[in-house]
Amino acid sequence: MALRAAVLRHVRVAVQTRGLESNPWFTSGSIRLMSSHDDHLTKEEVADRVLSVIKSFPKVDPSRVTPEVHFQKDLGLDSLDNVEIVMALEEEFKLEIPDKEADKIDSCNLAIEYIHNHPLSS
Amino acid sequence: MGPTTGGRTRLSGMQKQVLSLYRGFLRASRSKSPEDRRQIESFVSAEFRRNSKQVDHKNFIYIEYLLRRGKKQLEQLNSPDTVGLSSMNVTFSETENPKN
Repeated sequence: MALRAAVLRHVRVAVQTRGLESNPWFTSGSIRLMSSHDDHLTKEEVADRVLSVIKSFPKVDPSRVTPEVHFQKDLGLDSLDNVEIVMALEEEFKLEIPDKEADKIDSCNLAIEYIHNHPLSS
Repeated sequence: MGPTTGGRTRLSGMQKQVLSLYRGFLRASRSKSPEDRRQIESFVSAEFRRNSKQVDHKNFIYIEYLLRRGKKQLEQLNSPDTVGLSSMNVTFSETENPKN
């Protein structure tokens, strides 16, 4: 009992003296929680994976795929292909994209933007 | 399929419905077996594109009919009682060839 109290007292004091700066868990934890996307996918990582998904699309010529391409304008796809691409991206990033948003994603840029900003992308 | 050759075109309400239906079929197929999924996607893809080529995009009445029919078929696909794909194929081919 006495030992326990002593240990607890010790622990309490330890926490008090350490503070936020010296406790690595707290430091990274609190800063992480405050920031927006640091623990999220980086834009680069999203871009790489988006490009990879598009390049693997059977109707696409991979050599024409750049981060700026429009699916229909530049890659010669139709609007149904557009739907298929967005769904492939959903599977890649484990998202479900509502129709209203999906209809707007018709280029690589927009896809990267949307996915990067989505809190649940993984 | 509609004005897909142009630049960033705004989709008409009807086009959105068509794309939404297409998306619905693709979503439904995800929950099936890999083989069924391939079959469904291949079939639905061919069907939508065929209609897009053959049907006059101003023929709203017929397109609305196709949308209604498609929605019912999608409901069947999503229903747990649906037995398999062969019945779906029969339905499609029966009403094929809209020679207007």
